[in-house]
Order: sequence, then C-alpha cells, then structure tokens
Amino acid sequence: MGFIELKNVCKKYDKTDKNAVTDFNLSIQEKEFIAFVGPSGCGKSTTLRMIAGFEEISSGELYIDGKRMNETAPMDRGISMVFQNYALYPHMTVEKNISYGLKNMKVPADEIKRKTDWAVKILGLEEYRYRKPKNLSGGQRQRVALGRAIVKNQKVFLMDEPLSNLDAKLRVSMRNEISKLHRELGSTTIYVTHDQVEAMTMADRIVIMKDGIIQQTGAPMELYEHPANKFVAGFIGSPQMNFYNIRLDGRTIIFKDNNKAELPETIAGKLSKYKNGLIMGIRGEDIKLDAQNLDLNTGSRQKAIIDNTEIMGNENNLYFEFGGVTSVARVSKYEVSHIGDTVEFVMMPHRMHFFDPETEEAVVL
Amino acid sequence: MLTRKQKRNNWILTAVLIIASLFFLFPVIWMLANSFKPDVAITNDMNSISAFVPPALNGSFFDNYITILTNTSFVRYMLNTLFYAAVLIILGIIVNGLAGYALAKINFPFRERWLMIIMLLMIVPMETIITIHFLFIAKLGLLNTVIGYILPMIVNPFNIFLFRQVFTSLPDDIYEAAQLDHCSPVKYFFTMVLPMSKSVVATVSVFTFLNVWNDYLWPSLVFTSGDLLTAQIGLNAITSNENTTMGQTLAVITMVTIPVIIIYSLFSKQIVEGVVSTGSKEG
Repeated sequence: MGFIELKNVCKKYDKTDKNAVTDFNLSIQEKEFIAFVGPSGCGKSTTLRMIAGFEEISSGELYIDGKRMNETAPMDRGISMVFQNYALYPHMTVEKNISYGLKNMKVPADEIKRKTDWAVKILGLEEYRYRKPKNLSGGQRQRVALGRAIVKNQKVFLMDEPLSNLDAKLRVSMRNEISKLHRELGSTTIYVTHDQVEAMTMADRIVIMKDGIIQQTGAPMELYEHPANKFVAGFIGSPQMNFYNIRLDGRTIIFKDNNKAELPETIAGKLSKYKNGLIMGIRGEDIKLDAQNLDLNTGSRQKAIIDNTEIMGNENNLYFEFGGVTSVARVSKYEVSHIGDTVEFVMMPHRMHFFDPETEEAVVL
Repeated sequence: MLTRKQKRNNWILTAVLIIASLFFLFPVIWMLANSFKPDVAITNDMNSISAFVPPALNGSFFDNYITILTNTSFVRYMLNTLFYAAVLIILGIIVNGLAGYALAKINFPFRERWLMIIMLLMIVPMETIITIHFLFIAKLGLLNTVIGYILPMIVNPFNIFLFRQVFTSLPDDIYEAAQLDHCSPVKYFFTMVLPMSKSVVATVSVFTFLNVWNDYLWPSLVFTSGDLLTAQIGLNAITSNENTTMGQTLAVITMVTIPVIIIYSLFSKQIVEGVVSTGSKEG
C-alpha cells in the first residue's frame, strides 16, 4: 500500500448530474513528487482539495500513511498546502505568517524561533522578515507561503498551481527552488498545475486528467514517449504533436492530401486491421529536414511551403500545411528556413504514434 | 491642468460652500461663545455681532462650566455614556460580526432568506418597536439596570449587513490556510477576520458610539432616575431645572457636542465608507 492511497475517489457536486472526478485511483509512494496536470476544469484541483479535506469525498476512500482520512478534519491529516493566491495573512508580518501554525500547535517558543529562522534563511527572506505581505513581490509572497508550509514538518505537501501568478522568469527559478526543497525535505508532494512544462520538469510521476478522469499515470518521459491516448499525446510536449487522419494501403500511409509515406513492415503489420483509417501523430522534432535523414528515407520525402516560423534561439519551429492540417517541425537553430521557402522533409517512421480513430487510444506497436 | 473656466468654477464652488457652511456653523459658534458668558451678557449681546464673540479671558470665564461640573452629576452621566458605548461597541462587534460572518461565509439552509429578513428589519424604525422592547425589559425586571439598557441595543441589522458585505469579499483560501495552521473557527474570526476588516470594525464602532451618544428615547424609558443616566438624559434633566441659567445650559450642550465633533472629524472617512457601502445612514 502506498503512502497516500486514493481508491475509486469520486466527486459529485449537488445539483449537477456529471461527476467532477470519477474513479480516481492512485497510489503515491513516500517522498514521491507527483504532479496532477490537465486543462482547467479537469478535476485536478478538486482532487487535491479532497486530499486536503476542503472538499468532501462523494464516494471512494482516501488513506494517508495507512489511515483512512475521508472524515478527518484538514488539520489532522498531516498535510500542509501552498495556495495559488498564496493565502497569506495580510495583517501579519512574514515571520508571524510562517510561525502562526506552530504557535497554534503549541510548539515551544524556542523551537518556533529555530524553525522560523531556518525557513526564513533557506527561502532567502531574511531582509523581509518584518514586512507585511502587501509590501512583498509575487515571488517573495510565494516564498512566504512555502515557508509557512515547510515549518510545520508535515509529511505531505500539497501545492495548488503555486507558480501560476508569477512571471515566466520567476516561474523557472521558483520551479528549481521547489524541486530543491523537495529533495532536501523529502516530503511527499502533490503538485497541481495546468502547465505541462512544470509537471515534466519537477515530477517523479505525472497524472494527466481530463473531464475528471485519469488519462495516464507515469514518469514524465514515459508519458512523452508512450502516450496512452491522443489527449495525452497532445497535452504533453510543446509545440503540440502533429496529428493526421490517414489511410493505409499495405505499407503506404496515404495522407488526406494524397501525399504518401512508407512504413516499415513491422509497423504496418500491426496496423493492418484499421481498414477505415486511423490517426497518426508525430512530434515536431521527429520531422527531419537535414540531408542525412533525407538521404536515408528517400521513399518518404515530402515537400511543403513554410508559412510561418518561430525563432526560439536554441531551435526553430517551422509551420507549414501538410496532410490537410497545419503542421510544425522543430529544427535546430542552424537549419534556417524562411517564410515562402519550399522545404523537403521526412517523418521518422519509428517515431510515429498511432491512435484508434474511434477511441483515440494509442495502438500498441 | 485645469482650464481657466474650471479654475473659475472651482472658486465659485468654494465660495458657495464656505457661505453655506457658515449657516451651519453660526449656531455652533454662537453656542460656544455664549457658553462662557453670564446670562446678562448673553441678553445684551443678542442683537450685535458680539453674540458670536467670546468674552474676554478673565477669572469668571469658565464659571458656567465649573458650576455644571461641580453642582450636577453631569460628569458621571458622560462617563456612563462612554461606558455604555464601549460595552455596546465590543458586544456589537462580536454579535453582529459573527452574524454577518455566518451570512457571508457559512452555508446553512435559507441563508439568503435570513439575509432578506435582516435587511427588511433595517427599514423598521426603532420608535415602532420600542414599546415592545420596553415591555419586555420591564417584564424581565431589568428597568433601571445597565443590562436592561444594553440588551436590546446589541443586535443591529444595519451593522450585520455592513459586516456581511465586507466579509463576503474575504478570500476563502485564507480560511483554508488557517485551518491547516490549526486555527479554530472562533479563533479565526477574532485573529483573522476582524483584523483583516479593520475599516468595517472602525465604521461600526463609530456608528455605535454616535448611536449611543445621541440616543434619547430608549434611555429615557429604561432609566427613570438615578446614577445610570446617559449624557442626553442628563442634559435634559439639567437644562429643564429652573435654577439652570442660559449660559450653563449652553455649557452643557457644548460639552455634549464636543465628543461628537471629535468623532466626526477623526473618523469622517469611516462614516462616509459606511454610508457609501450600504447606501444608508444610521446613527
């Protein structure tokens, strides 16, 4: 049994007939960093709030450290939480914000001081110690919120989109700090985010949700390389995976615009039952424009006209119409193309993902 | 930059306001100036501009005040009123604040209906229900007691509504964070909700003070005699005594007015806020 165990957890709000969360099953190991990710309204925050005890669990069971927690008050669940809007106490100084919980828990004064000093130090808040939240920047406020969570020594850390109110640069540095903090403290962390980059970079395991249902659970690279369905494939990775509706004729893929590409026999064999076509997905970095790959796959060379480019600095995204949809290829910064250029490219057959057109589930190759 | 026309309009507006405010200030200035004069001087100055000028500072300057403070229990009445106001401010914040909090943040059956009823109570004037209050307090045998005076004054639908409006806008996640910080709901109310809502607490305190200080009807019914009288009742008792001179009367009125003027000048912001946020004024 995992350290945190969710068994068939459902959430249904009054006056609605649809579940906000359906049959959520997850076993979280101690010290694991788990990210719940999905588009807004997918039930990730609701699930987190059920674990925290702020939302009632409609059905199913929640165990933390072996104890059933369904009816336990939030403060007795052994959790601390960081909120999206920080939820700092506006009339208290940084120091009081951090130590407030310890005081209520009747921790001896010298220990409160020691812990507060420690939190203030590792979060770099020394000079702001006696300031009130309104005199702090967003990043500093988020640090105070983190401080408030870490001083209590709880075994479980819940974070509800903690970085979504910060600017892009700060988000990257806070991402690092949270990862570091997690490694140092070793507390079990559940991190809710709609940003797949945060999930990919920080989590040991990611839970992807949509419409209240878990789509896939797994390590970041597992999800990236082996998405269980089209939704996961599209959600993880930026720019988004390209999807094409295709038909198969023996080993030949026929795109909507009648372009053709060859598949190796091993792959084609496993797809033969999809007589009415299927969905093929390929990531931008697996569309190659370099001479070497073009030479290796002469039979599957395609042509397209670039209609937009995104210069990222370290790499370039090239947009073009192909197979009836706008496609994107991710190429190195040395491969310069301009809008209007006709380029030749190949789609790497072993990097293609195939999805059932009805269920959108991945076809196992 | 203001245009020439706007500047001119500003001047005209200021002048009009100064003249208008003089109309309101004249009686006050007259009261203050004459409160230092013996009755003979008041009558003599009546038809001249000296009616608005205080007398020369000499040994008898404060005579009216000294007579009132030494010969009557007026100080006692003032202190009584301050005490009632203090008690009612504290109890009022706790009771009305908790009610406002419940209406704002706690889900219970018919919450909106309750709010409606409380809002409807705001339009019921005190005068219409005062007989019921009186009979009730009399039945309880609480006439001529502090409790009898204070009890019906604690709950105030206007203040409940004021609290409710402000508490509604408090973010819920702070309550959730406080729960995880092992803060009980009651402690949360006193250590978080009230400190986070300082301005409404100030507004309610000011209104309560003015209410208690200016109230005449209710204390005149509850207190029939004795040491418990409020300043307003005391004022009436002193001024209706035939031995009290005109100058002494004005001195008493001045003393009753001063706290109100101080409160208005210190807390005009809160008073305006209260009026603006609820669209009504009480007190």
